[in-house]
Amino acid sequence: MDINEMKKDKATVITIEGRLDSSTSGILEKKLLSLMDTGEKNFLLDFSGMDYISSAGLRVLLMVAKKSKTAKGKVLLSALTDNVKEVFDIAGFTDIFTIFATAEEALKDF
Amino acid sequence: MEFRLKNELEEIRLLAEAIELWGEENGIPGKTLFQLNLALDELLTNTITYGYPEGGEHEIMLRLIPEGEKELLIEIRDDGLAFNPLEVKAPDLKQDIEERPIGGLGIHLVRQMLDELEYRRENGQNILLMRKKY
Repeated sequence: MDINEMKKDKATVITIEGRLDSSTSGILEKKLLSLMDTGEKNFLLDFSGMDYISSAGLRVLLMVAKKSKTAKGKVLLSALTDNVKEVFDIAGFTDIFTIFATAEEALKDF
Repeated sequence: MEFRLKNELEEIRLLAEAIELWGEENGIPGKTLFQLNLALDELLTNTITYGYPEGGEHEIMLRLIPEGEKELLIEIRDDGLAFNPLEVKAPDLKQDIEERPIGGLGIHLVRQMLDELEYRRENGQNILLMRKKY
């Protein structure tokens, strides 16, 4: 898994490539927590290059969504691939996250 | 096919790659392979993370057998702590972000991805028998 981070005006865009699973989710968790420590509370997580997610990845997403909500921030998601969308649907995550087709669209929502 | 894994999380990705290769050679649809790999990932992650509190190197055995026209029979054997995934309570998927407990989705995904799941404990081993139709 590769993580790319880009600071925009109102949010930090995190692009994840590859597999978000039990052996990689800890890296994303650390990255998000350290950004939150610096005061960031708005995140766009772009999944256009992420072809796999397991419950370990879902756990990190829920954790950051909870923390950001407490800080009155926003976590938006974009560009779910088919496999990731299927996992989101089964986990009931499609209903609790705001998901956009593209990162460009999502950025307008901050 | 048969696959032996060490109790290390990185081994799961290698198993997934081996199953994808085997599946392509045996004409099994990509969607089926994704769903099967997700279920196995969740089960093996549990075993590797919680099954061996005393540490040390252990081996987990997996067998994948095509049955009939469109069905796979999968067996996992490990010598970790006894754990019956069928006893795990289903999560409440209607809860909002604030109420949702962190964790508890893995076994839910397993149940949704497979058609049958059977558990038994035998001679100090967890034995899981699974069926996946396609």
